[in-house]
Amino acid sequence: MRHPLSPFTYLTRNPSKVLPMGFVIVLCVFLIAAVASIANSIDLTVRTIYRYTEFFTYVIPQRSTQSVPMDQRAILEMQPEIDRIIEGGVFFVNIKTVVGRLPFVVIGSTPEERDYLLKRIRATLVEGRMPEEGKPEVVVSQPILENRNLKLGDVIAGPLDDGGIAGSPVPVKVVGVLKSDIWVAMSSRTFTDKTFLLTPKCLLFTTKVPSDLDVVNERLMPVGRKGDGFLSPEKVNVLTRANLLAEVRDSLSSMYMIMEVVSATVIFVIALMSGMLSNIYFTQRIPEFGVLAALGISRARLMMKIVWETVILTVIAWAIGSVLSVFLLTYLAANVFKQRGLFLDAMDPWAYQHTLPIPVAITIFAMVTVWVRLKRLDAVSVIERR
Amino acid sequence: MLSCNDICLDYVEATRVTHALKGVSLDFSPNKLHGIMGPSGSGKSSLLYILCGLKSPTAGNVALDGTSITNMSDAACARLRSQKFGFVFQQPFLLNYLTALENILVGINPDELSASVQKAESLLSYLGLDGMGDKYPSMLSGGERQRVAVARALIGNPDIVFADEPTAALDKDNGYKVMSALADWAVDHTVIVVTHDADMLKGADVIHHLIGGCLVDDQPSNVR
Repeated sequence: MRHPLSPFTYLTRNPSKVLPMGFVIVLCVFLIAAVASIANSIDLTVRTIYRYTEFFTYVIPQRSTQSVPMDQRAILEMQPEIDRIIEGGVFFVNIKTVVGRLPFVVIGSTPEERDYLLKRIRATLVEGRMPEEGKPEVVVSQPILENRNLKLGDVIAGPLDDGGIAGSPVPVKVVGVLKSDIWVAMSSRTFTDKTFLLTPKCLLFTTKVPSDLDVVNERLMPVGRKGDGFLSPEKVNVLTRANLLAEVRDSLSSMYMIMEVVSATVIFVIALMSGMLSNIYFTQRIPEFGVLAALGISRARLMMKIVWETVILTVIAWAIGSVLSVFLLTYLAANVFKQRGLFLDAMDPWAYQHTLPIPVAITIFAMVTVWVRLKRLDAVSVIERR
Repeated sequence: MLSCNDICLDYVEATRVTHALKGVSLDFSPNKLHGIMGPSGSGKSSLLYILCGLKSPTAGNVALDGTSITNMSDAACARLRSQKFGFVFQQPFLLNYLTALENILVGINPDELSASVQKAESLLSYLGLDGMGDKYPSMLSGGERQRVAVARALIGNPDIVFADEPTAALDKDNGYKVMSALADWAVDHTVIVVTHDADMLKGADVIHHLIGGCLVDDQPSNVR
């Protein structure tokens, strides 16, 4: 038999008092988890769309030149970890993201270089064919098709495209689909060379061991200290995963700060509300505590009873709120956000870390307020209130 | 033995002082049913709460077996009440989310719980509440609830049971049932009952009369 003063006895037999508070906590956890996940999803979106930077790095000439200067190329060739350096023509197609249209690079390469790069990212042709030399055709991976809601044979770029650098003077068709979760688009080098005359040629390089790419990138042009690397920032720029993320995180720092303020405010308000609810429930339970105190139950034991009731309720409600958030965010990620170019991790530990202060704040708030009232509890006044 | 010496209790309200108890001294000999009688406002309930350590007197001292309980800490006093005293109030004050059996066991230490369940069932049977252990207070009559409260007072085998107007909210029949249970307990324990109903104290061994906060006299009962 469970002891009559066990917190579980009270919690299971007083649903009208327990459920409203539990419901508030569940909603609060979902709110915080959703806000934090969505804020973090921008970072994840960038990492997803530009994931090809895990496999190769672009070296782009600065505006004064049409191709990477020879001395800069020589520096690349001297790096022992580099496996291959490929010169490619590029153009851009639009992709949909939560912040609007963004240009996505299409690499113009020779068939042999294309096969090498696709092998590197383990992408295979599942539909259609590879682009023919000199023709306005591209092969793209499945996520790009889904993002643009296109199918084989549709035009992916053309003269009527809106947006800054994206588009093509001739309509470019999708002739092949690659099976890969890495966003990649490729065309023929001859097409890019004859069509995008003013677009600078860039170099892209791979390393013999893929995991060495970050080390080489950092050596060539360190993040935040461009001038300290082997490459000259006056002549070239590099597009690496590390500097992409650094730029995104830097530009989103204000938004993260706003999110922290919103989270803190929500947690404070919820803790305050829950503290008030605790006080109301405590007032309703004064006869109970008065009688228990008169019967010889010490204030410390009564306090522990309330603390455990609060801890159990908040922990269970937090767990339910977290599970509910995972399910709802998974649904929203797949059915709402993905189509809008926003990638959301429904199980982002960072987001759930932000919900942890909720049960802690509520428990502390309830403990302090109830302890003050318990200290002043006069059992006789309760018993004599007839 | 419980005794009190020169107990005074003053209530101060703004500039007015009310003397609720004026130097009451009493010895409560063991194994007896002690009655404290008096009209409303005579200070009998206040005296009871001072005797059991729930209220502090303005002056005077209460001692249990020679040890003063007047200046005990809250925690020590709570421990004393839990281990040595039992209480029956005018209202049963049962917790409405607990069954009758659970209400009886509410003050029991968790490590003594399983050993006390059998005893609680016996007490229910003894008090005429057979088969009502799993009923919630809302399903019991006023008399049944008060008998559950008596069982709650007796479960810990207390040396002294304090009862404050335990029959006030009951009809005569139920009142006698409650008093009979307390009188039985007084055979080998001390029971102190506060009431204004002389009928209910017919079985008392000693009756103390309080009027205006002063002890008037002690009258042995002629019934037992």
